[in-house]
Amino acid sequence: MNLFQIISEIEKVDPEFTDRLTHRRSALSLLGDLGKKMALAAAPVAIGSAFNKVVAQNNLSTVNDVLNYALLLERLEYSFYNQALSAATLSANLTGAARTAVETIRAHELAHVNLLTAALGSAAAPAPANGFNFGTAFATYASFLTFAQAFEDTGVRAYKGQATKIPRTLNPTVGGNTVNLLTVALQIHSVEARHAAHIRYMRRGATAGGQTTIMPWIINSDANGAPAAVYGAGNPAADFPAEGNLVQAGVTLTTGLGTTYTADEVSAAFDEPLDNTTVTAIARSAATF
Amino acid sequence: MTSRNQTPAPAEAGLGSQLQKPVDRRLFLRYTGLTAAAAGLFLAGCDDDENNNTTTVSLGSGDVGVLNYAYALEQLEAAFYAQVIANPSFATAFTSADERAALTAIAKHEAIHRDFFKAAITAAAPTQIIGGLTPNFSTVNFASRDSVLQTAKTFEDLGVAAYNGAGQLIQNPTYLTIAGKIVSVEARHAAYIRDLLSNGSFADSTTVDANGLDKAMTVAQVLSAAQPFITERVNGDNVGK
Repeated sequence: MNLFQIISEIEKVDPEFTDRLTHRRSALSLLGDLGKKMALAAAPVAIGSAFNKVVAQNNLSTVNDVLNYALLLERLEYSFYNQALSAATLSANLTGAARTAVETIRAHELAHVNLLTAALGSAAAPAPANGFNFGTAFATYASFLTFAQAFEDTGVRAYKGQATKIPRTLNPTVGGNTVNLLTVALQIHSVEARHAAHIRYMRRGATAGGQTTIMPWIINSDANGAPAAVYGAGNPAADFPAEGNLVQAGVTLTTGLGTTYTADEVSAAFDEPLDNTTVTAIARSAATF
Repeated sequence: MTSRNQTPAPAEAGLGSQLQKPVDRRLFLRYTGLTAAAAGLFLAGCDDDENNNTTTVSLGSGDVGVLNYAYALEQLEAAFYAQVIANPSFATAFTSADERAALTAIAKHEAIHRDFFKAAITAAAPTQIIGGLTPNFSTVNFASRDSVLQTAKTFEDLGVAAYNGAGQLIQNPTYLTIAGKIVSVEARHAAYIRDLLSNGSFADSTTVDANGLDKAMTVAQVLSAAQPFITERVNGDNVGK
């Protein structure tokens, strides 16, 4: 995760972002010998709260903007799995059932790319000219799966964050069929959640990273080695809380339902949406495009 | 048939009792103008579950109807998993501690969903909330891992398809987002349960089509699939309308 790249991206949409960070940098400089880079890397909490100060938020203004945003994320995911399946570094471990699962997921991401491209027609944005560069993501099998989890869980949050931006009565013709666009978005959304669940469980294996207690669902805001921002709050945090959120519709679910539930149980029972600005920053921290 | 109705109803059953109107068969026959002789033939075409004690629960209309619809399905799932983990055979049907922990977690998630909808509907429309439904799991062998998982798969895939299909019926964006927050958790459950049955089936072609889309079902389709597991007759004709 390249935090400076994230900050740089945020500065493009929020020129005052660095100023907002200043007092944190002063605080970090007090840490003495540690370089600022290391201090920042070790301070996900500071970065998480810095994210909350960003002004730009869920700011896609048209349905086509929403669809092109989804298209970019799907292209990223497809490219990620496509590159993984041909990566020499993964050939020893990405075999058998694991390989079949990744091929299944890749096929779904490609189908999503094709469907969104068809829905957008001439409004479809071009694919990034230089493709997607995932840096060292494929260096090890464990690293590949960590990135995959980050992309899938982020994808789920990204679609959820746009649900209310799609008019529920919008029924375009796609590939000769009349479809309800909101329903299609929800149908993609739940497939991404199925992918996320499977990838998370794949990480339990010894060669896959040995995350022996990871579950298919998200407990609190646990990142399990993925970038903390994937599970953190978006902007504004009131609308896009962290995955560890315990309050729904004004009710604190651990204590407010008559039966007492644990934070682990409540946080896992609800996934949380994320705004497009934060999602894009996460994507650009994991890939160059 | 009557034994089903003797299953203890959940404690909150009284809440929606005003909305549970027993079907008066004699009145029904009078309106339809059938003679007793003809009635035998007519009733032969009715659902097997019809009997004199069947009550009908109307989910209502508009957004409250959608919330009641979700509440009904979550009640069903919560009751199912509660019975799975409380069954004396749980530890012998599921010998893996990991699997027992995961199923126990799912049971909690579904109970939270159920309790959340009860609280949310009570706050938003206290006179329109449905009562506690009486589940009927007579076809499930709770001592069998396969029977439990097959039923769980049915419920989880059905839940995903129900929320996916109901999204466009929801007018209030807050409720739509909440439905979105829940459906992806149901999809995670579905994927996990499917992988327990057959690793790699988390999103196979029985639930994801050639366009990479999960299922979306209408209210009528979902209730038709869920009805065999619910003692009361559930009417969702006006959900979202």
